[in-house]
Parts: sequence; structure tokens; C-alpha cells
Amino acid sequence: MSASKRSTIIVEHLRKQQMWDGLARGKRLDGRDFNEQRPLEIELDVIKKANGSARVKLGDSEVVAGVKVETGEPFEGLENKGALIVSAEVLPTASPHVEPGPPDEDVVELARVVDRGVRESEMIDLDQLVLVPGKTVYTIFVDCSIVNADGNLFDATSYAVVASLLSAKLPVFEMQDDKVVDTGNTQPMPITTVPVSITAARIGDYLLIDPNSEEEACMDARITITTADEGFCAIQKGFTGSFTVDQIKKAGETARIKGEAVRARLKELTGKNG
Amino acid sequence: MHDVKRRYVIPGDKIAEGNFRPLMNVIKSGNALIATRIGIAETGRDGVKVIPLSGVYIPRVNDLVIGKIIDHSSLSWEVDINSCFSAHLPAQDVFGRDFSPARDDMGKHFAIGDMITARVMAFDRTRDPMLTVQDRDLGKIPTGELLKISATRVPRLIGKRGSMIQTIEQATQTRVLIGQNGIVVVTGRNPEGIKLAVRAIRMVEEEAHTANLTQRIKMLLNVPDTPPQQEAQRVGAVDASKPGEIESTIDEVEEELEVEEEK
Amino acid sequence: MTQTRNLINENGKRTDGRTIDELRTVKITVGRVKNADGSAFIEFGKNKIVAAVYGPREVHPKHMAQPDRCVLRCRYHMVPFSTDTRKNPAPSRREVEISKVMREALEPALMLEDYPRAAIDVFVEVLQSDGGSRCAGITAAAVALADAGINMRDLVAACAAGKVDDKIVLDINDTEDKEGGADMPVAYMPRLEQVTLLQLDGKLTPDQFNGCIDKAIGGCKMVYEIQKQALMQKYFGNETELKEEIQQ
Repeated sequence: MSASKRSTIIVEHLRKQQMWDGLARGKRLDGRDFNEQRPLEIELDVIKKANGSARVKLGDSEVVAGVKVETGEPFEGLENKGALIVSAEVLPTASPHVEPGPPDEDVVELARVVDRGVRESEMIDLDQLVLVPGKTVYTIFVDCSIVNADGNLFDATSYAVVASLLSAKLPVFEMQDDKVVDTGNTQPMPITTVPVSITAARIGDYLLIDPNSEEEACMDARITITTADEGFCAIQKGFTGSFTVDQIKKAGETARIKGEAVRARLKELTGKNG
Repeated sequence: MHDVKRRYVIPGDKIAEGNFRPLMNVIKSGNALIATRIGIAETGRDGVKVIPLSGVYIPRVNDLVIGKIIDHSSLSWEVDINSCFSAHLPAQDVFGRDFSPARDDMGKHFAIGDMITARVMAFDRTRDPMLTVQDRDLGKIPTGELLKISATRVPRLIGKRGSMIQTIEQATQTRVLIGQNGIVVVTGRNPEGIKLAVRAIRMVEEEAHTANLTQRIKMLLNVPDTPPQQEAQRVGAVDASKPGEIESTIDEVEEELEVEEEK
Repeated sequence: MTQTRNLINENGKRTDGRTIDELRTVKITVGRVKNADGSAFIEFGKNKIVAAVYGPREVHPKHMAQPDRCVLRCRYHMVPFSTDTRKNPAPSRREVEISKVMREALEPALMLEDYPRAAIDVFVEVLQSDGGSRCAGITAAAVALADAGINMRDLVAACAAGKVDDKIVLDINDTEDKEGGADMPVAYMPRLEQVTLLQLDGKLTPDQFNGCIDKAIGGCKMVYEIQKQALMQKYFGNETELKEEIQQ
């Protein structure tokens, strides 16, 4: 059951006034343009024990993602594909409002939206990750830990997942007498495309890319759009307000353009061409 | 301050040995005086204390604070004062003794999100802090640029007898409201002046523990390094109709040092 | 825990090339988590651990507050990709136990009577683990507590010692933890010279026990110097000596 919540952050009227004054002049509280992302830092291979990992800082939002590859049974109905499981956890270190415990609806949504972007874009060629059809396949776990929350966890988490998958080294498993054996060799992850998510918040009539936590506390609605080579592959509208159709189309256009820049960066960093 | 020895310390550091009186953030352990926080240890004739450089704001009675209204019941407003506890402002403080929840609308007077200047009226180990706005210059803050600094840097931002903040106000043609809880509101007519004041305040926050800070602030503000007497003839945006504001900051600094020593 | 193979070679080198008295490389960064009141990131060998402190702050639920002192809450948690095989994010019994001994290791150093009716929350998240993560976690947590400005009688430094190939060694790594003869984590308040955490996993003769605890305390003292450096670096930069003319 999902129930209305009080906002955890109450933004001071003085700040809201400052914000509206600024928006009328085309600037946000932190000086950014409407279409400007915060500085994006990506560090690869930060967790050597994982098969792939990345640490992403989008402004002050910080996420660490790790890829662990094992073997297991395929999903029902997908007997000839490898399994991919993307999870996310907001660590209690991330903000004063986080309670340790099982993920709440916001975190579950976050994990599922990020997963959707990777899965629907078919970023990983799961057909190549089968050992025994219908019985044993590669299982790729991508787990994300949000260390510090300052808005737009959707994009920060998505970039961390994508970067860690792009840079991951897949172990080479073999079947020997019905048992799975790790040959000790590695292979690159079979990548087909690089999905990139871009999130925008609507505040009044303004559409602002990459909202920080203060902007999220003032927003009316949010939209996260993931693009891959052929166009859109995952979209999620969030929060309790609404969008006009025009606003959505505009957001889609911006997501494609801005997404391209982030995609180029990810490809360059990981040496991959999707 | 004569004969005061100063040192950087972390918790557990021994500051001195012997017959000294432990003042704030210092405990006596056997014959030794030990720091309990990160900061600057001062050993003087009246005792040993540590001026802390980090830590959440803990309210003290009579502190001037700037708070944010976050909720209200029919009897009081709940105010976020950037501390470990929420504070309460009783409805009676504003509406008087014959306050009636049916007639007097709490939300209309102070709405959620409003910023107020208030004084801590009561606070002890058994209850949440209580505020009052019954005083000149207290009440809702209508406009201004808001910033948060560490509460531990507030004395340095005010300066001795208000000197640091007056320097900033005069040079930037702004008025700076400082709460002991680290909330600061800057008002002025010139946006460039406000921006410069904010930069100066951030600089004080970051470099509060260093030497020659006043000089560097003056350089940032393009103010010549004048001798102290000339600062008394203030010309600028400091609101002469509200002398209470400046006096109260001076009193606060002195009071604060006394209150600290009593701990 | 009986050893099955040799973990120290003929030249006295352990599986990671160290001698028996050598501490792994330890690096501490203070203030890593922006939203926290105090925080530290530690790399202790291959351990990578974040510690964040929120507090003093209000206790929720309110009935858990204590009238005369602060409530200290600690959580030690490992993220799924921190270990060789992926770990389920739900807390394991091991994490529950470590959370408890960690709290009991830090509490003696904190002056909790100074914050009645409030709570101090300490979160230790292990991003990568490699033996001795509880010691590294406690070390980082103590630094985070000091960074948060909590009143402390002393810092707490932690380090483990153990038995490998029948020798007493300092600072067990992951392999030695899994295959060695004994593992003894210790937490220590350096000025007060008090032990606040002590556990033993394995077999030690009385002589070995004495040797082990002495070695671990020696390790704690080395770790303490690193904690001190990290805090001084963050707060005072490169100025280690205070100049006299600071207040005009």
C-alpha cells in the first residue's frame, strides 16, 4: 500500500523566494542553467573484489555500484538468456532522513527504474550468457549503494550501474561433468548499447535537468527518461504533480541531447563502443 | 589576553598539568587537563578551555537564533533551529494570554517555511528548547539571502565587539543577521554586495582558526587596514535606527564566553 | 581454526608480502560524507569502509530517549559487493554481533551524559572487506565521532593480531583470517590505556595470548597516530603549530 507522505525537507520561504527570482532570470539557486547538469565524476574499478565497479559523484550525490557474476537458474520464461538483477540501497549514511531497514517505496522504485533502463535497452547481450540452456546461466548482480544523497539519485545510480557494467570483466565459466567451473580467465561483458538516463524536475513552468535535493523538495513533478541507440527505452514520471504533453516531449528531446554527451563520456572512460 | 598559551588539539590530547580549572570542553583526569573536542586549546590564568571547531549547535538560554517553522499544533509552532532538538514557540508568546485556537489562526501568523529570529527562553536537560519572539527585532524575516555555517564559527564571524561582521557589513553595504545556531541572513539593496558578503562569510567559516584572518577578509573586501579607532565612526548600511542589533551581538559574544566558562 | 597450509614463507614474508610485525597501509580521509555531521573514509589494506555520524539529534521513536544521557546507535553493515561471493543486503547475524561489539567499543570514550534525551547514530558501511573490517570500522567511526564534535574522553583505535604458522603476527588479512590459527581484534583508548573491544577466535596458549594482546595494542598505537594525522590535516591543514596572534 502506498500512502501520501509529508515532505522530509521543508524549504525555507526565503530560499524559495531566491529560487523564483533566479528562475525568472534563467538561473537556478546554484547558478546553473536549466539544462545544465552538475559536475559528474566517474571512477572505475574502485572495488577490486567485484567483477566490475564504479563510483559516481553527480554534484554531491554519491553512489558506488558493484558487479558480481555468479551462475544460477534462468528466470522463468527466459530459459535461454543470462539473468541480470539490479538492486539499490540508500545507505543510512546518505542523509539525516534515512532510517536503516528494508527499502521503502522510493528506493524500490529507484532500483526498478534503473534496472528497466539497462534491461529494456538490451545493454547486455544476455543470449551470450547461457551455459546449459534452461538450466544454468550466468547471473549478473549489480548492487548500488548510495553513500550521500543530494538529489537525482536516479541518474547518479544509473550512471554507476552502466559504468560498472561497461568496465566489468566477466569470468569465463565452463561446464565440467555437470558442474560449473571457473576457468580463471576473464572476458569483456557483451555490450550492445549504452543507456543513459536524464531526469528533469518541473518547478512551476520550468523544466530543470538534474535537480539537487533542494530543488526536489520544491518540485511539482519529475520525469526520468532513459535513451539508448534507437531512442527511448525507459521512462518514469514521478511525484505528485503532472506534466503537459508538450513538456513531456520537450523533456524527451532534452534527454536525447544531454544523454548523448554523457554517453560519449562513458564510452570514452571505459573504452567501450556500444 | 596575556599569558595565554594556545594549541591545536584533538579529543584525548593532554593540554596541561597541574592546578588549572577545567573550563569548556576540558575534563580533569588525575593531574592532567584533557581536551574533549577538536579545536584550539587555550591555557590562561582562569583556566583551560577548548574552542571547538566542529559540532552541532546546542542551545543556550538567551541565545539569539534564526529558525524555520516546520509544524504547528493548536498550542505552539515547532521550529527547526539547526540543533539536536526542535524548539517550540508557544502560541501565547505571540497572541497573548487570552489566546484561543478557534479564533487565532496559527498558520496565518507564521506559516510552515517561514524564517524567524527568536531568543531561547528556556532549555535544560529535561525539555526541548522554548523560544520567544517578544522583543524588538525578533519575529518573521521577510526577505534576504540565507546561508548556514557551523555554529562553532559564529563567535569568529561576529568578532570582538562585533568588529568582524561590521567590517563585512560596511564594505558590502549589507545587513547581516547572525543566529548563534549558525544560520545567517544577508539583506541589502545591491546584489553584488550581497554576493561579496556571502563570500566573506564563507571565508571566515573556513579559516576561523587561522592567523591574520581579519587582514585577508579586508583584502577580499578591498578595505584598507585601518586602526581600530576609526571603525567606531561607522558609515554605511548598518541600520542606525536599530542600534540594538549591534549591541546585542557584542553582548552575545561576551555573554557567550561567560556562559561557556560556567559549564 | 586449525591451519592446513603454510602462510609465511621461508623469508618470513606473509601472503601479502608483509613481515610479522608490519601493519597494512592505512589511509584515512575525514569529512567524506557531505550530509553527515561527521564522517571518515578508511582504507585499511584492501578494506574500504565509510563511517558516518549523525548526532546528537532527536530520538525517533521518542520513547527510546533516555532522560539523563544520550542513546548511542551503531550499525555495521556490508554492501553486497564487498565480499568474494555476493552477500545478501539483509543484515546477517555476524553483522548484528559486530554492530553490538562496535557500539560497546566506542561507548566508553563518549561523554554521553552531555546529551540527554538525544541520540548519536554511527553508521559503518563496508564497501570492500579484507580481514579486520571491524577494527577498521571502529577506527573510522572514532574519527567520524571526533569530526562530528561529540565530546570524547579519548579516541578509540583498533587493530587485530593473530596466530599464523604458530607465530604471533600483527594485523591479519583476509587469507590469514580464513586459514590461520587465531584472530584477536582489539580496540584501545590510547591516552587512558584502556581496552574497549577484545575478541578471540582460535586457540592460544597463555604465552601466545600475552604476546598477541601486546602486539595488537602496539598496532592500535600505530593506528592512533594515523587517526590523529588525518584529523589534524583536515582541521588545521599544514599548520601543525598554532601561531600566537590569532585573535585581535
